[in-house]
Amino acid sequence: MTQHDTIAGGDATSPPAIELIGITKRYGAVVACDDVHLAIRPGRIHGILGENGAGKSTLMKVLIGLVIPDAGEVRRHGTAIRINDPVAAAEHGIGMVHQHFSLVEPLTVWENVALGDVGRLDPRRVRARVGEISEQYGLEIDPDDRISDLPAGMRQRVEIIKCLRRDPEVLVFDEPTSVLSPAESEFLFNALRTVVERDGKAVALVSHRLGEVMAATDEITIMRDGRVVESLSTAEADARSLARAMVGREVSLRGDVIQTGSASDHVHRDRTAEVPVLRITDASARGRDGRVLLDRLSVDVHAGEIVGLAGVEGNGQRALGDVLSSLLALDSGRVEVESREIPTGRAGAMARAGVAIVPEDRHHSGCVLDFSVAENMFIADPERVARRGLMDRGEMARRAEALIDRFDISCAGPDAPMWSLSGGNQQRVVMARELSHDPRVLVAAQPTRGLDVGAIEYLSEQLRAAARGGVGILLISTELEEILDLSDRIVVIANGHIVGEMINADVDLERIGMLMTGAAAESGVPS
Amino acid sequence: MGDFFNALGDIATNESAYRNAIIAAVVLMLAASGELVAEKAGTINISLEGMILGGAFAAAIGQHAFGSVWVGLLFAMLAGIVVAWVQANMSHRLPADQFVVGLVLNVLVLGVVGFLASEIEPETNIVGRVRIPLLADIPLFGPALFDQPWVLYLVYPVVPFVWWLVYRTRWGLEVRAVGEDPNAADVSGLHVNKLRRQTIYLAGLTAGLAGGYFLFARAGQFEDSLVGGRGYIAIAAVIFGGWTMKGTVGGCILFGLVGSFVLTIPSLGYESVDPAFLAMAPNVVTILAMAFFATRVRQPSALARPFLRGLK
Repeated sequence: MTQHDTIAGGDATSPPAIELIGITKRYGAVVACDDVHLAIRPGRIHGILGENGAGKSTLMKVLIGLVIPDAGEVRRHGTAIRINDPVAAAEHGIGMVHQHFSLVEPLTVWENVALGDVGRLDPRRVRARVGEISEQYGLEIDPDDRISDLPAGMRQRVEIIKCLRRDPEVLVFDEPTSVLSPAESEFLFNALRTVVERDGKAVALVSHRLGEVMAATDEITIMRDGRVVESLSTAEADARSLARAMVGREVSLRGDVIQTGSASDHVHRDRTAEVPVLRITDASARGRDGRVLLDRLSVDVHAGEIVGLAGVEGNGQRALGDVLSSLLALDSGRVEVESREIPTGRAGAMARAGVAIVPEDRHHSGCVLDFSVAENMFIADPERVARRGLMDRGEMARRAEALIDRFDISCAGPDAPMWSLSGGNQQRVVMARELSHDPRVLVAAQPTRGLDVGAIEYLSEQLRAAARGGVGILLISTELEEILDLSDRIVVIANGHIVGEMINADVDLERIGMLMTGAAAESGVPS
Repeated sequence: MGDFFNALGDIATNESAYRNAIIAAVVLMLAASGELVAEKAGTINISLEGMILGGAFAAAIGQHAFGSVWVGLLFAMLAGIVVAWVQANMSHRLPADQFVVGLVLNVLVLGVVGFLASEIEPETNIVGRVRIPLLADIPLFGPALFDQPWVLYLVYPVVPFVWWLVYRTRWGLEVRAVGEDPNAADVSGLHVNKLRRQTIYLAGLTAGLAGGYFLFARAGQFEDSLVGGRGYIAIAAVIFGGWTMKGTVGGCILFGLVGSFVLTIPSLGYESVDPAFLAMAPNVVTILAMAFFATRVRQPSALARPFLRGLK
């Protein structure tokens, strides 16, 4: 019995272009995909919905030859095929639109499109082909633009063109909207509709965002813990049951708040009269290549308040996080903590002033994977467990135990190596370290990225508790739901500048979307 | 010191100073052109020094055994490729640290050719000058560029050819992609480490040629001190040039000019300038030039980063 037999709807009976049968992939003891069946049909957009770690990405990597499954087979029009690398996948008419790492930034659009082809390089022909495709699908682009000059939405067009130039039968999109503004997402889905309806191509759309899967697809397959838990046609799906299938239990949808607009738990207190714990005034910074990172950015965070910084990825959030971790010096403007100006770019200055940070990428700058849990907890401030320059290992273990208890970190003990912990528990260690310093300000950058729902709930609660305890929290996130769920006040960032502000009680989603996109429109993306 | 500045004035109008400068710059240009390609693909090819030295020695053997400069140059390129083969496979197949491999190779090549040279004692000579009519009559620069040992003219086709390879061919596009974003290149279906190995072979070829050229154009007789750090200066020229061919050639000419002017000072009768100071000057200029003009902003993003498939 295969899951796809149960699919109902329009031309759900048409023979699939690509069929995955009984795909299983294990990584050690972890089963990433467990006997997964999936049929992708021509002329249809097939949404693959699931949380992070549900096995969606692994499944798609099987499809384009980046992962070789342990069991199961891939069939194309009923014939079993082998896909050992991306080149083989392309030969079988499968193309993937990658989100993060398939464009070479210093190269131009046409050069990127030409990458991976064979034969003599003929710039004129490649340019012409780019023009042809972009006209055909309404993906306007200048083939001579440099990728590094393009905003995320335009880069994605290049990805799509790069994929379409080989005229694939099946297009795979992996989390395509994660770096897009709402308007850019809309544009993408319209383009997808054209591809599917006019050319009868099949599209697989991988996403963890319920709303967009509901809006953009014809069929939905829901994955959880490596298995397919449900397959149905989009017409008969409703958000609540999808969410339940995705998570495996009843959840309160963050979307509920958005849909009803009643964020009643956020009682807004007017704090404008109080002195903010963190005040950033007219902060401007440029990158080494002269790019504007921050542009006269001003924001205040008061004690006990959660301020959500919303915006499309790559609009200065990382730079702001870097400034507040003393990694980046401002060209002009000032940062004050409790009315005291803190010099920027001086190692440790922010931390000493009481600014704690949960960095955007915990593996890159949040923790040292080869160190133990205890070492990671005291790495930023070893003085607290040292006497005359020598580490007091007993004291360190005692304090670490206490933090492990308090933050409910599941690990083998203070000496367990950090890499042996799950992502959620690693993030708890980072939180424990930062909050144990009794900070005045906590900067949480994408604190729940890549975590499962349980960990997200826990960390959200920790942030709320910290705020109740009087810490001023700056929440930097590209997930609008997260911002709306947690923040008392929302500021919108675009191109390194704060373009708007509102309190959560009278949040206007359309306006936030406009603010995020409004800036994008300036760089050539229609809104 | 007053003498020194008077001397600079005299040199600036001295034909043979320019001639020496170009001879010195060409060895850098040949080596640096290949090095540029290797760096474009993501390797800082420290063994460049060893490649040049190996090339110079092999050129000596070639001419000694077969009596032909052409055979010598062919040997030189082969020797460069042999060193490149070790560097490429150690650092982009195994992968060992490219700097450690490069440094060890330089020491190894020095030891091997030093030993072999004392055993074989190859006999070689400088090749004759060939004057290119009309062009050589341009005042000051004409003789430097067009009245030189004929092996020097190899630089005229080689450097533009390497430029064309990098900026006008599919291979060159792939090389640049691999040096900027190996993950993206991999996803696009390119063989990252294979391309990187190929660029090192090319660097071996041009660096070996540089060694052969230097033997026949300037040294005449092989000594193991013949290369004397020019490989490192060539690497500096690539960085100084901001990873462009134009900039790299400019850097080579600058470093060549300084080296030559310093050598020319005593021959113009300025004996009071301390020879130790003169020997040091080119390196000081190199360092100052690097400090003030070199910028790392435009370096290939994946420079000196090994690529392992599947790891982020």
